[in-house]
Amino acid sequence: MGLTLNHFLVLGAMLFCIGLYGAIAKRNAIAVLMGIEIMLNAVNITMVAFSFFNHVKGNGLDLSSLLTGQIFAIFIITVAAAEAAVALAMVISIYRKRDTVDVSEIDMMKW
Amino acid sequence: MYQYSGLILFAPLLSFVIIVFGTRVWDMLSRPKKVQLTTHDGHGSGEGHEQGAHVGVELAFASVPAVATAATARGAKDATAHAEDQAAAAHGAHLDDHGEDDDEDPKVAHLSQGAVVSGYVGVGIMLLAAVYSWYLLLYSIFVPDQNFLKNGTDVFSYDWLRQVGGAGDYVIAFHIDTLGLAMLVVVTTVSLLVHFYSQGYMEDSAGYARFYAYLALFTFSMLVIVFAQNFLVIFIGWELVGLSSYLLIGFWINKKAKPDEQRPSPSNAAMQAFVTNRVGDVGFIIGIMILFANTGTFDFATLFVKAPHVMSQGLLATAMILVFCGAVGKSAQVPLHVWLPSAMEGPTPVSALIHAATMVAAGVYMVARVFPLFVSAGPVALGTVAWVGAITALFAATIALVQSDFKRVLAFSTISQLGYMFVGLGISGLGNSDLTYGAGPGMFHLFTHAFFKALLFLGAGSVLHSLHHATHKEVQDMRLMGGLGPKMPITAITWLIATLSISGFPFLSGFYSKDTIIGLTAERGQWGLYIITLGTAGLTAFYMLRAFILAFGGTDGKYGGLWGGTYRGVGDPHESPRTMTIPLVLLAIPSIIAGYWFGFFQYLSPKAPIISFTELLTNPLTYIGTAVSLLGLGVAYFMYARLNQEKLHNFVENNAALRTVHRILYNRYYVDEFYNWLIKYGVLGLSHVEQAFDTYIIDGVVNGVARLVTTLGRDIRYTETGRVQSYMIGFFGGVAVLTAVVLVLVTYVAK
Repeated sequence: MGLTLNHFLVLGAMLFCIGLYGAIAKRNAIAVLMGIEIMLNAVNITMVAFSFFNHVKGNGLDLSSLLTGQIFAIFIITVAAAEAAVALAMVISIYRKRDTVDVSEIDMMKW
Repeated sequence: MYQYSGLILFAPLLSFVIIVFGTRVWDMLSRPKKVQLTTHDGHGSGEGHEQGAHVGVELAFASVPAVATAATARGAKDATAHAEDQAAAAHGAHLDDHGEDDDEDPKVAHLSQGAVVSGYVGVGIMLLAAVYSWYLLLYSIFVPDQNFLKNGTDVFSYDWLRQVGGAGDYVIAFHIDTLGLAMLVVVTTVSLLVHFYSQGYMEDSAGYARFYAYLALFTFSMLVIVFAQNFLVIFIGWELVGLSSYLLIGFWINKKAKPDEQRPSPSNAAMQAFVTNRVGDVGFIIGIMILFANTGTFDFATLFVKAPHVMSQGLLATAMILVFCGAVGKSAQVPLHVWLPSAMEGPTPVSALIHAATMVAAGVYMVARVFPLFVSAGPVALGTVAWVGAITALFAATIALVQSDFKRVLAFSTISQLGYMFVGLGISGLGNSDLTYGAGPGMFHLFTHAFFKALLFLGAGSVLHSLHHATHKEVQDMRLMGGLGPKMPITAITWLIATLSISGFPFLSGFYSKDTIIGLTAERGQWGLYIITLGTAGLTAFYMLRAFILAFGGTDGKYGGLWGGTYRGVGDPHESPRTMTIPLVLLAIPSIIAGYWFGFFQYLSPKAPIISFTELLTNPLTYIGTAVSLLGLGVAYFMYARLNQEKLHNFVENNAALRTVHRILYNRYYVDEFYNWLIKYGVLGLSHVEQAFDTYIIDGVVNGVARLVTTLGRDIRYTETGRVQSYMIGFFGGVAVLTAVVLVLVTYVAK
């Protein structure tokens, strides 16, 4: 029995849904950011899982293509780090200007 | 030497160019640049400075002291007012001559040098052209060159466009043959005399040089038609004639309409002439296109040979009737005749030119030019020509019986005589006899008619000119004339000659040309046409002598009322200047003798017979025709020279039937009113419907789309909340829906 690909996929999906709920439902901008980070990491788990199980099966492919998922995950982590930095900077900036980080109040760009 | 006749064609164009770019420019350059103001102080009073302001007008004006005083009296304030004052000053100068003129066309006190030279240029060049064309005509008669008589000569040819593969040719080609030469002489002669005459008639008109430029352009346009070798060129000339007639009819652009005399304004008349001709031209151009589409050529000679072979007779007849539509418009046949009486609003020399040589003759000449095609097209096409002509002749003649406007009688007589020409053209090909007359009878009447009709118009112009000087008004109503015979004898005598000639009085030119046509209708067994043309001849004699007696005679005149009598107008009319009487005398000569060219038919088509004088005298038809003409003359003489006019007038007014007939005829069968009604309710009604369609359907669709988009945008914009989280719901909700759809598709459909 042991761990199969489906376990990882379910874990990824669950994490993604938790992150999505946080991003949609939370009113604090920091919490929204955290939700987004969780969604990104859910994707990372899925990526690495696909890559790993593809490798285990050993379809006779060369190493570089087998590692694509893992490299993708590293890229996502990098981008997520940059995104977190930018997003946090924006949140701080908004807080300085408007004294709040409540996303329901940050709706200047409506009709 | 015939190929140099192209010089005649381009001579009027040359004089047009010289006037427009030469004398007119010279005139403008020699005009003083600025208006000098010299003030005379010393009037003492405070306003003296202003009153004494003396406008130093142009050189031409400065020579007339009356102008300066007139301008001074008006108290010209500054130089900018100069332009308006110029006209007023010219008007003021006339005050000294003969009282106030009531017409609005601008007059000048003194023609500028450039204008006078323009007149000399026009007359001189036309004189050379006329002399050369007469020389060519006489040469071709007395030194017969069989090749020229049969085929003519190409004058000028230029490949304008040649289609790839040689299918269809667009060639600007000019050609002269006997038919063209006969017409050429008429055009150049009448044009020369009109040019010469205008020196007197237009003596003080402001647009003197412009007038000569237009006359030259008009003559050139007509010569293009005369020289045309193919339909393309004839159509160019056709439109040029339309343009120049527009310019000349509307020459007095400032004149107003005179509703009480049923006279439109010249600008409206010009537009009417132009538009009415367009109606005919639609048929003309479609006819040409049918011919071109089937044969691939415009060339007359090629068409004569080719068209009957490649086209069925029905199609050819359709094409020729459509071509004839153009002639109906240009030659003012029923139902497109309405422009011609209105065209009387142009200066009288222009009327002479239009009616004798250039405009209306173009339609007859065109039909004569393509006459072999009409013959090939068969009796339907020829019958249409003849019957339209006959109906027009009778229709116009009946209207002319009661008109009181001097020029309008002549206008309707022209329409009537043009009808005769078309009868002559149609009848020549109709019937079961040989077709050897060709275009002869119609062209012969055109040839003789040109001279006496030009004479009638120039004579009428002389009368109007004289009355204008006497009464300071524009008098065209014959009820205000009468007894002018002894006052202007040259005009009266020449007019009498023309009257008798057009009436078919024996041994004058109209007698030969008209009697030939009437005789031919009987000879060909077309008794309907015979009766109409014969009756019209009597009517013609009646209304022409009526006009003569009303203008020049009266019941108390000499010779039983023909000469002199009571003058019903005001002032003291006297004979016109020599520039106007010389053309009258010169035209009286061909009005008498032009009919004695017995070889005319043979000259146009070598197989045609010569008119035989003895046969004419022994034919009973001649005596019937002459008797009818003399009867018409006699009735007119009795009614207008012998009867008491008051009693006659009362008799007509008290008889209901006569009164109604008189009113219908006087109002020209209400054709103008009918066209007005048609335009008002037909064309304008249709345009109202179209406007509604445009407003409600076209604009409705365009505005509706815009309104829909606006409404949608205004209502949907509230979904744009500005909250990122609501967008996320939308985004992921959308993804969820799509996923569900894909799942359903994969699970149930893809299997």
